[in-house]
Amino acid sequence: MNVIPQLILNSIIAGSIYSLIAISFSLIYNVTKFFNLAHGVLAIIGGYTVFYFAQILNWNIYIAITFGIVFAGFIGLILDKIIYLPLRRRKASNMILLVASLGIMTALQALLSILFTNEFRTLSRNINEQKIFQLLNGSLTQTQVIIIFVAILITIFIVLLLFKTQFGKAIRAISDDDEVAKIVGINTDKIISYVFFLGSAIAGIAGILMGFDIGIEPTMGLNLLLKGIVAVIIGGIGNVYGSVLGAFVLGFAENFSMWKIAGEWKDAVAFILLIIFLLFKPRGIMNK
Amino acid sequence: MIILEIKNLIKKFEGIYAVNNLSLQFRKGQIIGIIGPNGSGKTTLINLLTGILEIDSGEVIINEGITISKIQPYQVSFFGLTRTFQNVRLFEQMSVLDNILVVLTERNIFASLFERHSEYHYKIAKDILQKVNLWEKRNQLALNLSYGQRKLLEIARALAMKAEIYFFDEPFAGLFAAMREVVFEIIQELKQNGKTIVLVEHDIGLIRNLCDYVFVMDEGKLLAEGKPEEVLEKREVIEAYLGE
Repeated sequence: MNVIPQLILNSIIAGSIYSLIAISFSLIYNVTKFFNLAHGVLAIIGGYTVFYFAQILNWNIYIAITFGIVFAGFIGLILDKIIYLPLRRRKASNMILLVASLGIMTALQALLSILFTNEFRTLSRNINEQKIFQLLNGSLTQTQVIIIFVAILITIFIVLLLFKTQFGKAIRAISDDDEVAKIVGINTDKIISYVFFLGSAIAGIAGILMGFDIGIEPTMGLNLLLKGIVAVIIGGIGNVYGSVLGAFVLGFAENFSMWKIAGEWKDAVAFILLIIFLLFKPRGIMNK
Repeated sequence: MIILEIKNLIKKFEGIYAVNNLSLQFRKGQIIGIIGPNGSGKTTLINLLTGILEIDSGEVIINEGITISKIQPYQVSFFGLTRTFQNVRLFEQMSVLDNILVVLTERNIFASLFERHSEYHYKIAKDILQKVNLWEKRNQLALNLSYGQRKLLEIARALAMKAEIYFFDEPFAGLFAAMREVVFEIIQELKQNGKTIVLVEHDIGLIRNLCDYVFVMDEGKLLAEGKPEEVLEKREVIEAYLGE
């Protein structure tokens, strides 16, 4: 049996999930210039919100998904308002912001464990009822097809937002120089808060999709985030196209390496790739 | 009319006075030069007046009415103030045109999401970029411009702000003669339109030719003030600034 078609499809699915995390992480990083380590756990919060409303309260799944996305965004917004924004106003260094985000990540992760236990949860009620699609001699589940479409839609949405709207221009201006952005009259604190909402909501979408595809557990946010960060770095920090490209390069590298070596090496492959890029192309693929 | 007044302004860095109990009055419609040796507090003063640095103590009074003791940088434009920087600061990853359009951007979140720049905005941007000979470069990224062009783009961005007071920090430094002429004309035109221009400049010739009034700073304090031809003859100014 030829495994290459299935490897290609698996790589595209992984790349799609990573691209959602990479784009959303990158959006927030570009305007704040710090590594928000709590970003991954927001993805998982999105997933658990859907789990709570759909499977514990038995709400309509679409309403639960909407709640999950908005709730993840809302938590991101609140974290910015009550923790990151006061720190930024006190001119806290990026290291302090990073350490604060590490604390938030640990606390939120612990909270999820307390509320939902560390058991693996899946959002699909009947996995066996999922439609299977055949493509290029490989197969995809219905959820995986949705993952790919959502990643494409979100990427198009972000590109249009950044490059075709006045709001996007303000975000790009803050990314370039937040002090000058203020001088020209942009209320950077407000815009950054909106970006936190947007970025966290997209992370929430990624977490929900993962919940439907492979399931979620409280501690998987960090690993997901690290993959997103690797994608951003190898694609080129600050470049939205680079984040997507980096995500797919990572997805392909991980899945194709599994063809020849044991699955336990999957995470190691991501970080070996990161080290190679840091050594030989530290600005990433897209940045000259 | 006094458009900007500062009273007893103080800024310290690690206990050392960068601006020391400074009180100045800026008159509307004048070109005002701020000169002084390196480290005399000129740029710190502009940074304080445009919110880049926080004021330790003192007051800033705008239009003989609004008193502010703390300026948030994003509010500076609301008070009719704008500036350029000694070391040019642009939105590097944006095109030349976008560097101007972003200044004309809608500040309301929902409007900024759905409204696109109109012909009106493009016309303003075109007029300003033509003035600094950068219209042909409008689609280039700012980071790809030459030093002189970058300096002109920064001045163009300040013009797009339609401010009342323009702080130009060494706007002529490093420019070719033709570019200096462009900046010279822009400053003259702003004055003709009743705007107030504050120039931080080292070129004494330019100060003599352009300025109506001069403040001389030394060690964060006001050393002298008055018309250029008078101030530049004062012994203490010559000693402190020209080192003679």
